[in-house]
Amino acid sequence: MRILLVEDEKKVAEIIERGLKAERYAVDICHNGREGWEMAAAYEYDIIILDLMLPEMSGTEILEKIRRKNQQVPILILTARDAMNDKVKNFELGADDYLTKPFAFAELLLRVKALLRRGPVNRSSILRVGDLEIDRLSQSVRRAGKKIDLTAKEYGLLEYLATNPGRVFSRTMIIEHVWDQSFQGLTNIVDVYVRHLREKVDDAHPLKLLRTVRGVGYCLSDEVAA
Amino acid sequence: MNSRSISFRLVVWYAGLLAVIFSALFALLYLNVRLFLINDMSQSQVRRTQQVASLLLAQPGQAGQIATEAKEWFQPETNDRFIRISHTDGTVIYVSGAPIDGSFDPRKVPAIGDSSEAEFSRQVQLSGGEILMVTALKYTSPGNQDYLIEYGASLDPVQTMLNRLFLRLAVGLPLAIILMTAGGYWLIRRALAPVEQVTRAAERITQHNLDERLPVSNTGDELERLSISLNRMIARLNDAFQNSKRFVADASHELRTPLTILRGELENMAEDPRLGLEWRERAASLLEETERLSRIVEQLFTLSRLDAGEAQAEWARFDLAELARSTAEQMNLLAEDKRISINCDAGQPVMVEGDRARLKQVVVNLLDNAIKYTPKSGAIQLRIQAANGHAVLDVEDNGIGIAADVLPHVFERFYRVDQSRSGESEGAGLGLSIVKSICTAHGAEVGVVSTPNVGTRFSVKLPLRKN
Repeated sequence: MRILLVEDEKKVAEIIERGLKAERYAVDICHNGREGWEMAAAYEYDIIILDLMLPEMSGTEILEKIRRKNQQVPILILTARDAMNDKVKNFELGADDYLTKPFAFAELLLRVKALLRRGPVNRSSILRVGDLEIDRLSQSVRRAGKKIDLTAKEYGLLEYLATNPGRVFSRTMIIEHVWDQSFQGLTNIVDVYVRHLREKVDDAHPLKLLRTVRGVGYCLSDEVAA
Repeated sequence: MNSRSISFRLVVWYAGLLAVIFSALFALLYLNVRLFLINDMSQSQVRRTQQVASLLLAQPGQAGQIATEAKEWFQPETNDRFIRISHTDGTVIYVSGAPIDGSFDPRKVPAIGDSSEAEFSRQVQLSGGEILMVTALKYTSPGNQDYLIEYGASLDPVQTMLNRLFLRLAVGLPLAIILMTAGGYWLIRRALAPVEQVTRAAERITQHNLDERLPVSNTGDELERLSISLNRMIARLNDAFQNSKRFVADASHELRTPLTILRGELENMAEDPRLGLEWRERAASLLEETERLSRIVEQLFTLSRLDAGEAQAEWARFDLAELARSTAEQMNLLAEDKRISINCDAGQPVMVEGDRARLKQVVVNLLDNAIKYTPKSGAIQLRIQAANGHAVLDVEDNGIGIAADVLPHVFERFYRVDQSRSGESEGAGLGLSIVKSICTAHGAEVGVVSTPNVGTRFSVKLPLRKN
């Protein structure tokens, strides 16, 4: 898998590159727009991560040029701009996804993976983490064969975490997916729901699946901690 | 009327000046009339004495004859006049009888003292209180006899006339002052009416419509200049406001990239197994602060976008009651965690027009605020109703309340009721200012009433239809 990253902030580029390389992706980096467009035109990439504010040629311009060539390559826009009209405009121009700074790297990785697979991260109707079983069709949850009753939000939270077992989800990511933008800034609501979810899912079992990664967020994992 | 307004003060000065000038004029008039009447009377009496002299004393005659002739010619009793003719040594030749109206007793008029003048007038007060004006004439007859002729009349008619004049002036003066003051007030009001208009127009201008200007009358007068100067000042204010808004927008924008770097590096460190547990913990702690910083930047950016009027981006028609119900449901667990009950009174659909996501944020922030400041086992009442063309959203709690002196500040940015609270990781005192900004963008009013230790009620009044 080969990724093109066009980002003029060298440090941001470095962090993303490091993270992506750790996930065994091949990453090409450009620090200005013209170079970025030349690379995008010259090579076949599996995904392009594009910053909007670039020297010499703006991200929007590159986006337009790539799409004029009718390339099917998935494009993830990365920007500090998040005004509504910008978002709409970039989707119209053919961006596949959009991430505003500052973002959690975990979220970037999730989006990249989703774009690479061209669909939901995990489409199977039954999600399994250890002895926890989530049936997406009937929205029912069992642990060790025993049914667990969850409210709609609790189920939504658990299902979201279960789409990527072992992956850490930030509170902001959880709020945006399980709740909506209106709850932004209300991160303690996630903590309260996770606590309730723990009571129902983990309390009766020695192996705790719902884990807190301090400062980052939560993850669902059945790996025995080192 | 405001006792400190210019029109009031001008009218008071005006009335005072008028009263002084008119009083002086009236006093002058009164004194002049009095002088004129007395002079006139004394002159006519001088003529009478001369008549007495030429008619009675020019030919030598007996005293009895003089008396008879005096009666015949002058009829002093019928005319209420006093006539006395005497020799210079004081022997009286003739004195008139009591007048018909009985206004004075002629016998009581004292004899005249020595005077070098040939002709003079004096006022004599009789023992009965009556005042007589008596004119005396020294006359030497062709027969070389010296006479003193005195002719007098009561001053009463003059006094009556003066009294009548005084009465008229006393009534007329206040009346004139009242009329002129009223006229003056009307004129001043007329002259100041444009000032009132400018004031009202200026009051309509707040930080949210600084692009509006005052009406400028094309009259070339002081008021036109005032309006123009005020408009220039508003323009400068507008610039300053725009600058500070742009600053917030730019600053929150520029902070994003460094925050991304901080966050990315710290995430790496927090999960790097090569680092010891203590260092990972420290990185995690820093990461928490970075998240908090990101949230503040996000909220500031939200505020600057609202200021720039971007709330109208996704305008739609929807049921506010339904929105409140579902939001309360989503927030319920947060309340339950503190054993607080949220009672949602939103049975009837209330259709409003607005940005649904933004208005949801209003409900979320108000509920979050209520939950934060309500102690365990409290209760929150969420009410939606339609009244008088408005949708009214009330969030009422029975929590700690807000003191009256800080109540007007709760919607200010970064304002915290309790400064010691700043140590808490959530929020930066921007939640309620976001509520306020969203409401303003929707043409809605947001208000708060609170009683310490009893509870607080936030009310949002939203027009049912977009204006």
